[in-house]
Amino acid sequence: MRLTKPVFRGDRRSFLRSGAGVLGVGGLLLSAPSLLLARQPWERLDVVRELLDGSEPSTTGIDLDLPLVSEDGSSVSLSVSVDSPMSDDDYVESIHVFGAGNPNPEIAAFRLTPAAGKAVVATRVRLNESQTVIAVARTSRGEMKVATRDVRVTVSGCLSRNGDSSAMGLDNPRVRVPPNPQAGNPAEILTLINHPMETGLREGEDGELIPKRIVERFQVELDGDPVFEAELYQAVSANPYLRFHVKPRAGELRFSWTEDTGETVEVTETLDPA
Amino acid sequence: MKHFITNRRETLKLLGATGAVAALGSWGVPAWSNGGPGHVVVVGGGFGGATAAKYLKRYNPALQVTLVEPVERFYTCPFTNLYLGGLREFESVGHDYRELKDRYGVNVLHTTAQDIDAAAHTVTLGDGSTLRYDRLVLSPGIEIRWDALEGYGEDAAEKAPHAWKAGEQTLLLKRQLEAMDDGGVFILSAPANPFRCPPGPYERVSMVAHYLKTHKPRSKVLLLDSKDGFSKQGLFMDGWAEVYGDMIEWVSLSDDGRVVRVDADRLEVETEFGERHQAGVLNVVPPQKAGWIADRAGVTDESGWVPIKPATFESTQVSDIYVVGDATVAAPMPKSGFVANAQAKVAAMAIVSSLAEREMPPASWANTCYSIIAPGYGISVAGVYSVQDGAIAEVEGSGGISPRDADPDFRRREAEHAVGWYNAICQDTWGTRPA
Ligand SMILES: Cc1cc2nc3c(=O)[nH]c(=O)nc-3n(C[C@H](O)[C@H](O)[C@H](O)COP(=O)(O)OP(=O)(O)OC[C@H]3O[C@@H](n4cnc5c(N)ncnc54)[C@H](O)[C@@H]3O)c2cc1C
Repeated sequence: MRLTKPVFRGDRRSFLRSGAGVLGVGGLLLSAPSLLLARQPWERLDVVRELLDGSEPSTTGIDLDLPLVSEDGSSVSLSVSVDSPMSDDDYVESIHVFGAGNPNPEIAAFRLTPAAGKAVVATRVRLNESQTVIAVARTSRGEMKVATRDVRVTVSGCLSRNGDSSAMGLDNPRVRVPPNPQAGNPAEILTLINHPMETGLREGEDGELIPKRIVERFQVELDGDPVFEAELYQAVSANPYLRFHVKPRAGELRFSWTEDTGETVEVTETLDPA
Repeated sequence: MKHFITNRRETLKLLGATGAVAALGSWGVPAWSNGGPGHVVVVGGGFGGATAAKYLKRYNPALQVTLVEPVERFYTCPFTNLYLGGLREFESVGHDYRELKDRYGVNVLHTTAQDIDAAAHTVTLGDGSTLRYDRLVLSPGIEIRWDALEGYGEDAAEKAPHAWKAGEQTLLLKRQLEAMDDGGVFILSAPANPFRCPPGPYERVSMVAHYLKTHKPRSKVLLLDSKDGFSKQGLFMDGWAEVYGDMIEWVSLSDDGRVVRVDADRLEVETEFGERHQAGVLNVVPPQKAGWIADRAGVTDESGWVPIKPATFESTQVSDIYVVGDATVAAPMPKSGFVANAQAKVAAMAIVSSLAEREMPPASWANTCYSIIAPGYGISVAGVYSVQDGAIAEVEGSGGISPRDADPDFRRREAEHAVGWYNAICQDTWGTRPA
């Protein structure tokens, strides 16, 4: 693994913007009358309604997995998988995850390309209380899919200590790429970086709110071509962990994590299929 | 009748407020419980099962109670860490079933329950015979998930013991510690939640460090964790630094502490991001689920554990089957012996009430988990739980944790309380007194 020094990089949002721009706006809840009409959990969240933009999502071919009961809301394993050929003309373009009971419902937005090979993504998230978690996937053909999962949280995640991250900023990026992945078989990639993911909601020892400081973007390219990208919100656990896939082809994988301060750290790894 | 109802509530409140070994020890038989006898079968004679059998008979001596437990002598997990540390003899954690048989008239069958037919209300025993029940209590404890950690099957546990069920595994781990070279590394791999005894791995490494400090001071202890935090973390870490200097190193999930592969022949483990660690002694505390008989009864859910109705501990999936102890989903109550004992009393009361067609009074539970960091150095965490909005929750402002800045005298007294707790709960559960 080669670790390049943290560098400041300019605005490279273009890849993400088309999907994520939709998420950034809007109040949290619908007004009372429409709330009464809402039949499904996702219809109760403004951000999800805007994302769906009037389309009727399908609830098949998508799976959202979290434990039924979590004893620690500060780090709950979450994975989403979507049935998709991940071919050039039919692939999952984005997967958005929401926590209906968190102070801010957005958890993460993932952008995929056919180069990912498989629409399976996993991370660890903060859940403030027992709630419904929602995943929405959009395919390149414009189809929307949605899955929900009710999770019982016995110890709240958002206001508690931030795991054990003693990291101040971007620290210790780790990547695991299988040594000789089989061509034609999407390879599973793991990444982890030490970072406090300060929510901005937590008080420090002096009683003052600790300012928000998060890793807001993670990008993966294979020889310059986008493979996978994640936009992260405060509800991603300290020390962001991400699992996703890449279709093996010889080349250089470049991973980058960007903080909301603009600070970036990069790692490169060679992909060397069998 | 009204008189009795208030009385019952009062008594149950008392039970709830303390979870209490002592309070219950002096609690007589409720006068209303004579009606509605029946046959209750209890599977498992550990903390939950032995307590359930005894308290069913105490609440209604007219009940016929059969306890199914393969072993004639039960070794508790609590205090096996002290055995590993050299603070106790192994036999001191052994208990038998004489009180249940002789004093309470429980029919104790030393065999395994092989199958359960919930529709027919029958339990099939090891010899193929069947028992019919009106109500069934399961307290089978945990099962290791032998397929959850690459390289860690039953054979591997003969080389890299879990010692998470007391018995041969505990003795094996002790022998390995004694055979380890001075300067070797003891590695413990700790699982993600939920698992039996949340503070257990941390007490385990404390006691191992005590043994090593005394006998093999150049050795190291490496704790590879699948979590970013753990029970009584601050207290443990303070204690480790104070007593053992830098002998114990804890590697969290986010520092690549999660073990994903075990090579038991080479005593080597590999973590998620590809780090390999070589052990002198390798103690793998693997992922767990409810004891297998719970699957046969159809009471487990996709998590592998048993969801229960909080007020009674009856299965949410199969009626007339009550499940207590580690096998259940009862968070935020921890999977502890103390909790299994307290849950068993509530289930026993629920069964006696339901057979007598009485309403079950509201219950609550208490727990204290003591841990020993070194001889004369104890810490604890306590909580009181009740049913709130249909779910188990910790009573706000209840319980607490040992202070971080306590003096040595305080720590010494907590270590003494731990022994008092152990003697009391074993007496309450099996009727055995310390030798
Ligand atoms: C190292 C360690 C330290 C611990 N320290 C503490 C502590 O200090 N305090 C504390 O409160 N808790 C402690 N615990 C936790 C405690 O051991 C458990 O929470 C407790 O044993 C749970 O009780 P149970 O009845 O659910 O299961 P168990 O006590 O394990 O009993 C289960 C019984 O069921 C029997 N059984 C299983 N299947 C069948 C079948 N099919 N037929 C018949 N019988 C069957 C088994 O033989 C066993 O005897 C510790 C645990 C460990 C591992």
